[in-house]
Amino acid sequence: MSRYRFSIKLFCSSILLLFSISICTAYAQKDNAISVDFKQSKISEVIIDLESKSSFHFYYDPKIMDSLSFTLKAENKSIVFVLDNLFKSVGVNYTIFKKDIFLTKNTQLVVQEITNNPVSQTVKNIVDLSQSVKVQQAVTPNKLYEIGMKTNELKNIPAILSGNLKEASTGKPIAGAVISSQSSNVQATTNQSGYYTIELLTGQNILDIKTPGREDTQRQVMLYGNGKLNIELKENILSLKEVEILANKVSNTKSVEMGVNRLDIKTIKKVPSLFGEPDILRVILTLPGVQTVGEASTGFNVRGGSTDQNLILLNDATIYNPSHFFGFFSAFNPDIVKDVELYKSTIPENYGGRLASVLEVTNRTGDKKKFTGSAGIGLITSRFNIEGPIDNGKTSFIFGGRVTYSNWLLKLLPKDYEQSKASFYDLNIGINHQLNEKNEINISGYYSKDDFKLNTDTSYNYSNQNGSIKWKHTFNEKLNVAFTAGFDAYDYSINSNSNPINAYKLGFKISQTNFKTDFRYKIGDKHQFKFGLSAIYYKLNPGSFVPVGNESLVTADILPAEQALESAIYVGDEFKVTEAFSINAGLRYSLYNYLGPQTINNYAPNLPVTEDNLLSTTQYGDKKVIDTYKGPEIRVSGRYNLTKDFSVKASYNTLRQYIHLLSNTTAIAPTDIWKLSDPNIKPQFGSQVSLGLYKNYSANTIETSVEVYYKKLKDYLDYKSGASLVLNHAIERDVVNTNGKAYGIEFLMKKNTGKLTGWMSYAYSRTMLRTEDLEQGSLVNEGSFYPANHDKPHAFNFTGNYAFKQRYHLSFNVTYSTGRPITLPIAKYYYAGSERVYYSDRNAYRIPDYFRTDISFNIEGNYKVNQRFRNSFTMGIYNVTGRKNAYSTYFTQENGVISGYKLSIFASMLPFVSYNIKF
Amino acid sequence: MKNLFKICFLFAIVAISSCKEAYNPVVTANNSNLLVVEGIINSGVDSTIIKLSRTVIIANKTVLNPETGATLVVESDANETFPLKEDLKKGTYFALALNLNSAKKYRLKISTSKGVIYLSDYVEVKTSPVIDEVNYEVKSDGLQVNLNTHDATNKSIYYRWEYKETWIFHAKFISTLEWDGNSIVPRKIGIHECWGNENSSKIVLGTTSKLTQDVIFKSPITFIPSTSEKLSDTYSILVKQYTLTKEAYEFWQNLKKSTESLGSIFDAQPSQLTGNIHNADNQQEPVIGYISVGTVEQKRIFVSKDKFPNFRMVYPYECMEPSIATIKSPGDAKQYFGDFTSIPIENAPTGVYASSRQCADCTVRGTNKRPAFWQ
Repeated sequence: MSRYRFSIKLFCSSILLLFSISICTAYAQKDNAISVDFKQSKISEVIIDLESKSSFHFYYDPKIMDSLSFTLKAENKSIVFVLDNLFKSVGVNYTIFKKDIFLTKNTQLVVQEITNNPVSQTVKNIVDLSQSVKVQQAVTPNKLYEIGMKTNELKNIPAILSGNLKEASTGKPIAGAVISSQSSNVQATTNQSGYYTIELLTGQNILDIKTPGREDTQRQVMLYGNGKLNIELKENILSLKEVEILANKVSNTKSVEMGVNRLDIKTIKKVPSLFGEPDILRVILTLPGVQTVGEASTGFNVRGGSTDQNLILLNDATIYNPSHFFGFFSAFNPDIVKDVELYKSTIPENYGGRLASVLEVTNRTGDKKKFTGSAGIGLITSRFNIEGPIDNGKTSFIFGGRVTYSNWLLKLLPKDYEQSKASFYDLNIGINHQLNEKNEINISGYYSKDDFKLNTDTSYNYSNQNGSIKWKHTFNEKLNVAFTAGFDAYDYSINSNSNPINAYKLGFKISQTNFKTDFRYKIGDKHQFKFGLSAIYYKLNPGSFVPVGNESLVTADILPAEQALESAIYVGDEFKVTEAFSINAGLRYSLYNYLGPQTINNYAPNLPVTEDNLLSTTQYGDKKVIDTYKGPEIRVSGRYNLTKDFSVKASYNTLRQYIHLLSNTTAIAPTDIWKLSDPNIKPQFGSQVSLGLYKNYSANTIETSVEVYYKKLKDYLDYKSGASLVLNHAIERDVVNTNGKAYGIEFLMKKNTGKLTGWMSYAYSRTMLRTEDLEQGSLVNEGSFYPANHDKPHAFNFTGNYAFKQRYHLSFNVTYSTGRPITLPIAKYYYAGSERVYYSDRNAYRIPDYFRTDISFNIEGNYKVNQRFRNSFTMGIYNVTGRKNAYSTYFTQENGVISGYKLSIFASMLPFVSYNIKF
Repeated sequence: MKNLFKICFLFAIVAISSCKEAYNPVVTANNSNLLVVEGIINSGVDSTIIKLSRTVIIANKTVLNPETGATLVVESDANETFPLKEDLKKGTYFALALNLNSAKKYRLKISTSKGVIYLSDYVEVKTSPVIDEVNYEVKSDGLQVNLNTHDATNKSIYYRWEYKETWIFHAKFISTLEWDGNSIVPRKIGIHECWGNENSSKIVLGTTSKLTQDVIFKSPITFIPSTSEKLSDTYSILVKQYTLTKEAYEFWQNLKKSTESLGSIFDAQPSQLTGNIHNADNQQEPVIGYISVGTVEQKRIFVSKDKFPNFRMVYPYECMEPSIATIKSPGDAKQYFGDFTSIPIENAPTGVYASSRQCADCTVRGTNKRPAFWQ
């Protein structure tokens, strides 16, 4: 039997033919009566049966019809009766023309339109038909989208709907959006590639879609069975105000996780920034529970954790130094970053290896439809980025770079540093390739380099290098997996070559090769499983001191490289017990192997780790397991909704950290070194219990929360008094295992919509440390609790943005915090030929409180759609009140006299302007 | 656009004020009257000198606060006692050669005038090996003084050095005249050439703990920049060598770190100091200082000017060429030189050439008496 298969294109272009067909419908003939009995039959079976029982020939597109099944029992009925009952309920139109029957699948409209409407309307619907072949693209909230294998029997049975949530203009996936059904109270969250899967009941569903940083919207679906629906969202400026939809907001009161902050780049860009350079880390610092020791310092402290206890991920790559130039700028390019998530309480079980938090920075994927880019000129840095498709809509790239000319900035530093030089640059690249519906590959790379010289002949430089590849595969609506492999490195070096005899280079490097796999598996409506495993191979060169040039007399001192393997396996389940009560239980088991080749010092047990108690050393060969640490980590959190917009959450976390940053300066300095746990340095262990209340007001436009937490730290590494950490061949003798506790209460109020947006936070928190183990030798402060360097009990932040009009925004930022603790000289005396100072107990005093207000004004160019370039202008003032906030205080001996100094980094108002162009 | 950019750029720079300010925090006076004990118990034939003082609050103008009227006794672990006497110099206590037994351990007992007793830990006697050589290197930017020593028994390991520098220097101008209070007369004792001297004010340490042999080779003692007046003529340095126990070494190193190298952004945080002297009744009371027992070795070298011919010292004061002081009557001379701020240099046609004291009188910052040891 010959069958004419429609090509879609041919079908679309054969308008006239169809038009004539529709006219010919009137000539439909009666044929002999037939009997049929179909049970969930495929179209091919139906057609074979009907063609054998009648003289008609059928023409149809199997691509469209294959998804349908048909059930009908009829005895001696006319072909018209049979066709009506078979096809009408599933939206298939039939057209009888002489002895041929054409089957077309479309919405019900087609039949009406083909028969009743003028040509142009028909054209439109036939074009629509062509699109319905692919996964439907749900663009507007007002249309009903039909999903699944249509049967003429419609029951309320569970069915799975899945698809991608994308931005309409660029085709970029939207992650973290919450999709929920109004009728069955289920919800799903889109993953990093915008993919979602949700279990609904067949029939009509209204889906609410809540996306961070966007207005809420909805889509209507008629669900017949399992199916796919890609949802496209338009940018805010194009969407209409839909007041009634705001009432349907799902929100922080509904999610199980607690202590999570999500910020998208739009929000970040609204916060006034130093020199007009949007800075992710500075915005993170306005969140409750996040602090920094000083203004120009690298790193941040989350809930009393030290700076090395944050896992900072950029597209799954670990960034060891997240700052440029002493922390004046963050290492992340704001033109490339899409959004930022900070986990400070519930650390998902798929993350591990750090105690305090996970900061996940995600870059955008390139625009798949057209080439775009932007360039910015600020006082300090210039930026450029470009993105676009590589091949027809499947592959895209994004590239961004920043470079500084910040030498003049150093003039802002105290006079001692004014002869200094500094420069940095960073590069980001991302490639996204959508192999097909089920497979997606992302490649991303990052490189940063800093170079500076501080008024001496010594130059410092450091660099981050990261590369990763990720393959995401969807098995089906229920199961998907992501494989990630990557390489991360950080190194620094210090060079001095003014004196050829003493010329040296001091170097440090850490690198890690990692692999992980993450599965997501959904069982029914109630369970969402996560499981996977990860492995990280560390290689660390703790320090090398080598001569430079032929004349140098410096003797080389190279500490042996360290190797370790950190592996973990995890499983977790988000279990919806009832509508109001959800629980997320996860378990991670981590295993750490310290590997050879290495020489290990063996100390006498139960005695202080000192040179005197060194018993022997042991040599270990290559790849030999020297020591193993392991243990389970528990991640549990739960949510109970008291009312729809009021919930209580609790969580308990335990974590292990096998890598330590050794620093006895106040902030992360480029000279700090990382150290792997070894037989003499135990891993750190932390546990946190937290409780939170979440309440939303005014139809969820105002989110409020209160969280309390109590944290315990074990075997955190602090340094002994006067320890030297660089090129130390027996570092274990200079550090001391410290135990600590941190507790606090955090208040947050956030307004996401309206003319005035922003957030306000207050936190009371304490972080206390103690060395109690007498085996450690000398105890800091005689073994009593002392405040950690970043213990700042009161912290208040206000960040607001007021939009006068669409194009004019005024942003402001107010920060207050207690001054950080310092060890002060409290007395002076004459000793060994000089006046000297006597210091207080460690961290017994505090520097003056910190207060700063920033303001900025942003003007966007006009929004004309066809404009080739779009401009925006930002101007503002950093530290409006000109308060001379102390960065640090220090006392120094000058010509035998002790003088105290307060060092302020930005001691006065600092106006700035920046200009951006988008093309 | 570009103009606006420039304007703001400039404005940003102008608006920056100085960022380093004097800082004097309010600190309670609780802990600011601590006992400070300095000195070593000399086990050899030299005298033992111990200085006692009290700390003062940071804001105090003077740091000198000697502790007088105390009774000091050196005790051995075999119950021998060796009393010290209070010197005329306030807060200084001494004993002549103690000739201690290096097999025993000794401690210092201090009874203050208020009756509070402080005891040091018992410490072993560390006998210093002789200094093999004090040598120097002439570098492009100055003179590096180094030291060699060794201990064949491998016992010394930890070293501390003190030094005293002495140097010849000259006033900018040669004064052949002087104001004797009544009139200008030819100068009797020259004030052009003097000897300056200075004690070490930085802690100098060295160790061989990481070496296979107890050999100190070219350990840096001090560095004198080529522009220093110390190198304008013959230079001499006397280096004293102490050997320390490991604990004493750690104390000195800690003291050095926490009082000498703070202030830049990357420096280590200061830390507390733990010495080996304690209040007998209150172990918690901090006492500053570390008592060591041992011998002292010393060595002097001279470095003559011809060893560093390229060094060009910078005179420490701005000096204008001598100007003519017109003297028509004795009253004029008194007006010029009566307050001793100006010095007559030599005769001029209408009076005398005169210069400021700093530029013509070397005794402002040294002595014109030749030291006894000077070659």
